[in-house]
Amino acid sequence: MVKIKEPAPAAATAPEATLTASRDDRPAARRFWADSEAVTTTAVFAVSIVLILASRAISPAFGGWSQTQAILILSSFVMILGFGQGLVILLGGLDLSVASTMTLGGVLAFTWIGSSTAALLWGVPAVLLATALVGWANGLGITLLRVPPFIMTLAMGIIVYSICLGFTQGTPSGQASPFLSALYQYRLIGVPVIVYLLPIAALFGHLLQSRTPFGRKLYAIGTSEAAAFVAGINVRRLTIATYAISGACGGLAGIMMVGYAGGATLTMGQPYLLPSIAAVVVGGTSILGGRGNYLGTVGGAILLTTISTIIGALELPEGWRTVIYGAVILLALLLMRERILTAFERRFGRGGAR
Amino acid sequence: MSVSATTSGAGSTPSIAGVAKRWLGNGTLIIIAIFVVLHVGYALAQPDALSLSQITDELNNALPLALAAAGGTFVVLTRGFDLSVAGVVSIANVVMATQVGDGMSGALYGLLLVIAIGVVVGAVNGYLTAYVGLQSIASTLGTMIICSGIALLILDAPGGAVPEFVSYDLMDVLWDAVPVTGVVAAAAIGLWLLIRRTDFGTALYAVGADETAAALGGINVKRTKFLAYCAAGVCYGLAGYMLSAQTATGNPNAGTPLLLQVFAAIAIGGTSFRGGRGGLVGSMVGAATLLLMQKVLFSAGVSSFYTGMFQGVIMIVAVLIAALSARFAQAGRG
Repeated sequence: MVKIKEPAPAAATAPEATLTASRDDRPAARRFWADSEAVTTTAVFAVSIVLILASRAISPAFGGWSQTQAILILSSFVMILGFGQGLVILLGGLDLSVASTMTLGGVLAFTWIGSSTAALLWGVPAVLLATALVGWANGLGITLLRVPPFIMTLAMGIIVYSICLGFTQGTPSGQASPFLSALYQYRLIGVPVIVYLLPIAALFGHLLQSRTPFGRKLYAIGTSEAAAFVAGINVRRLTIATYAISGACGGLAGIMMVGYAGGATLTMGQPYLLPSIAAVVVGGTSILGGRGNYLGTVGGAILLTTISTIIGALELPEGWRTVIYGAVILLALLLMRERILTAFERRFGRGGAR
Repeated sequence: MSVSATTSGAGSTPSIAGVAKRWLGNGTLIIIAIFVVLHVGYALAQPDALSLSQITDELNNALPLALAAAGGTFVVLTRGFDLSVAGVVSIANVVMATQVGDGMSGALYGLLLVIAIGVVVGAVNGYLTAYVGLQSIASTLGTMIICSGIALLILDAPGGAVPEFVSYDLMDVLWDAVPVTGVVAAAAIGLWLLIRRTDFGTALYAVGADETAAALGGINVKRTKFLAYCAAGVCYGLAGYMLSAQTATGNPNAGTPLLLQVFAAIAIGGTSFRGGRGGLVGSMVGAATLLLMQKVLFSAGVSSFYTGMFQGVIMIVAVLIAALSARFAQAGRG
């Protein structure tokens, strides 16, 4: 499936993977380019920016700051889902229940919070807790009962969707929260509030995944569960926590969707399942676990949204737009492949190190 | 380990306990047992469940998913994911609904067409994954999206009509005794049992269990993976063909609902997503079990709002039973 270019670092040193880099005596710039994750992350953002600029050719309304804002807003849902999904994939798992937890989060926020701003104070934590519980149950099934993640989260997704269906009796009822809507509509110096929050969330997510003991331990588990266990990491507890985080991310995306769309539907989560996985994979995270970073996922979410926004504006039949969308994704994956990185290194980078 | 686990038995002690334990360790037999128990329960509640027409119905309903799951199994055995099933089934369906004439020759022409479509998509998947080195989930996501687009280009809204030869004769019963779909399923299983004994079959399991070891053992890993995606594509094409026979109409999104069901069927059929363990028969029975479950829940009068809840729980339980029995078998052997 994935070519492992370099032998994985010895299991015991996996948590300190960054240390191996710092022991390197190559200059910082060369070290950066030798780190395939950094290159993929940069490439994803670069391709997005180039595409946005190039889209000016399609329509003069495109390629500007307002279109960039629209893309950022639309990609916010995949960004949030992608954080939890990315952590789960880092462990070598997969969370197929995110579509349902997103729907659950949206339905609950719509019903519990309604238009009351005071209810936000308890409503948002309550929704996050409920969806985290779903993820927690996923984690329990995967660690204690040893059900494969794929089937556990798939089944949980079906169960939670059915609960949403029963809870709402088919049609969610409630009221849109003006405060949540304001996040998307109220402009601070001409920019919607949410656009300010996204980079903060991205940075927070990145630091949590790459710079905290919690995050580093996830890399260790994803590289080799057995080795992580031997190294004294509480694999079971961390795995459960990770799935709970992914559940809460689904809930948060649902709450945000209620703010954006002003309502909740039973199908609101479904269109985001595959993009949440695609963003993570396009962002350079290995589906086998142990490798990846969150900024790549953020870039992946933005890239996918950029592509679909631009293609959506083309005056073509839906079939052609879909074909182009798929082809561009494949092309992007091909361009960002590691082999190009290797060629780049051979030309400019590795010379001194060898 | 997995190769020997699936083919072991010839040399082991023939004691009853030994045989029982070997059977317990075999995911395929477990899912068959679950299916039989579920079916007996259903038959007790619905006395006509064992009538020929009911069984024909059941086979007709289950065969498209069963063939699609069979295809997915090839790829899962090599430790990959193939999402393109949704796209290939959709294309096969709209092709059958718009491009194919009536009669025996039309049916044959359609059959060749869907197989060709499956091979082409499978070859693209296989090339991108095995030779270019993309992650399987990423490359097949791309081809799935492209295929759905092509399906929309061929037929942009539900409609069209599948030739009557396909939609009637293939859903029929031969000599008042054997459903045609049963023959197709049996043929698929027979073909698989043959394939499993070929070098390709052995290589499939070896590559999935340990890629490095397989390569060191002289197996052409890339070619094995490439062929696995091609075989999968052919199965998806056939699944689309049988789906067209069942629905008798075209729908550019026909394959989408199959996507997650295929993986559910493979999982409860005892094939491991870590590669190298399981088989195609289990996946096909798994598919039949999934669909039977819906019928049982419906006939038990469960509100349609809550059927999903039961379905999810039963899926988890089925996987647990398979895993537990495998563990017992392992403990007994060790």
